[in-house]
Amino acid sequence: MTGRLRLRPAIWAPTLALGLVVVAILSLGVGAVWLPPDQVARALLIPHSPDAISTAVTIVWDLRLARVLLAALVGAGLAGAGAAFQGMFRTPLADPFVIGASGGAALGATMAILGKVSIGAATVPAAAFMGAMLAVMTVYGITLASGANSATALLLAGAALSTILSAVVSLLMLMNDRAIQEIFAWLLGGFSGRSWPHLAMSGPPILAGLAMLWLLARPLDALTSGEETARSLGLPLNVARGAIVAAASLVTAAAVAASGLIGFIGLAAPHIARLFCGSSHARLIPASALVGALLLLIADSAARTLIAPTELPVGVLTALLGGPFFLWMLGWGGSR
Amino acid sequence: MTLWQGGDPAPFPPGGGALTAEGLHYELGGRAILDHVQLQVQPGEVLALIGPNGAGKTTLLRALARLLRPLGGTVSLDGRDVWRMRPRPVARHMALAPQGAELWPLSVEQFVGLGRAPHRGWLLPLGPDDRAAVQHALERTGMTLLRERSVTELSGGEQRRAILARALAQDPRVLLLDEPTAALDLKYQVAILSLARQLAHEDGLSVVITLHDLNQAAGVADRLALLANGRVLAVGTPDEVLTAEMIGATYGVPVSVCRHPLDGTPLITPLRETW
Repeated sequence: MTGRLRLRPAIWAPTLALGLVVVAILSLGVGAVWLPPDQVARALLIPHSPDAISTAVTIVWDLRLARVLLAALVGAGLAGAGAAFQGMFRTPLADPFVIGASGGAALGATMAILGKVSIGAATVPAAAFMGAMLAVMTVYGITLASGANSATALLLAGAALSTILSAVVSLLMLMNDRAIQEIFAWLLGGFSGRSWPHLAMSGPPILAGLAMLWLLARPLDALTSGEETARSLGLPLNVARGAIVAAASLVTAAAVAASGLIGFIGLAAPHIARLFCGSSHARLIPASALVGALLLLIADSAARTLIAPTELPVGVLTALLGGPFFLWMLGWGGSR
Repeated sequence: MTLWQGGDPAPFPPGGGALTAEGLHYELGGRAILDHVQLQVQPGEVLALIGPNGAGKTTLLRALARLLRPLGGTVSLDGRDVWRMRPRPVARHMALAPQGAELWPLSVEQFVGLGRAPHRGWLLPLGPDDRAAVQHALERTGMTLLRERSVTELSGGEQRRAILARALAQDPRVLLLDEPTAALDLKYQVAILSLARQLAHEDGLSVVITLHDLNQAAGVADRLALLANGRVLAVGTPDEVLTAEMIGATYGVPVSVCRHPLDGTPLITPLRETW
């Protein structure tokens, strides 16, 4: 992770943005009906003109656009939160779920699937969101109350709570074998059947949290030099750490609520971004978000098409395809 | 204690920087690490903290830097108790260059730029005056040519200079240096020590410096404080503190003290036959 390939933001930012638009247009085209890019572009830009083909407009706007935007936002959110946690905890192994968000979301979603109370299509996402936030707040609260109050204590408490919560989820699945399939499908993560309501629910918190993380770039940079140095620079440690945890967890919870548990993106995207933009968070947070959006959009397009008409869970795909790529990248980075 | 706080409501007098420790006490596991330490450093002065391993030099430096809250006693900066101040105003007036630092692959320039946060705030981008201060700090530490490099790719000595540059970018009145010459080759030992003297004597900073090497301490310091077991055994000029009796008794090694041939400061040589 040395950043020898460091590029100027004026180069990577437009390149990634352009890449994102191209991949989004291709992604809007793939599916049961293939729409060539020009049709997609026309349906997007001039949906009411007589030139646009009405089925293309319907497919793009009603069926695919919300899902594509959601995949990009979830990818951006997971990657941005991962970058922030990697910096705050000073470990390249951190991902958005490192302090318990995944366990909390899984338990929340499981209980919603099993539960009798329903508030319509939003039940499972809302429960997952609340579960994730509750879990993170519990971890943070325990750490504050214990007085240990260090990044290490936060990591350990997160690991412990995640283990407990996933044990509870396993137990609930065993005791309710008829719902196993539905719970399992949610745990694997994906965008099947996601549409505008999911985007409306998860989009704003993801964007707000990412903006907050970007604003917290310098406190994050200071924390990478160690807590003692950050304090000697006058950083109010608890305020800064609380704000970072709150922003990153808001993003993670909103992402998980929309898509279920999608692994790997939040771990790998920041490492890929570091290769060209360095490790300063003012650049790393937006670069990771762009890379994450791009990766998850590609993964979701592949998940929809590889074994069509059946859909693969995108979480399985990110791990299957991304994992080896990540390993190769680490080896290549280390050997240089 | 917020990230977005504005300016310091009651600024320090210009040219201030007197740092005073009174009755500083700290214990760990029932053992006194700092035993009612009384110490003062004035603007324009280099004070070196010397003493055997475990004497409490670094602990004292951390207490002075407002990183370690003492169990008793106070640290005051121009008469104001640092524990009654918020961290950011303290960091505008006092900077610490720690001995060992955890490093992350920031560029030297970004790393040194962190020293501007106490002035600029944590959320705003650095302005032209911040960049000028960073540039100045890089020049004084001889790091200008390395500004684009990642701090993790620097040699040990270059890393020490980057850490010192970050402290200088804070534009402090009080500079605390923890073993600044460790891991440096002879050229940079001399460079860092003469920079410390220059900062005190020409720029009027108060400089506190912990040193293992007694001869370096004799050469750089206006005054020395000899610590052992958390207590200040002696404070004074190099001539007053670096006597054969005092050093021999404190370190448990017989030494001979002669004079530096050029500047007449004490030179300490252990008497080797006792090994």
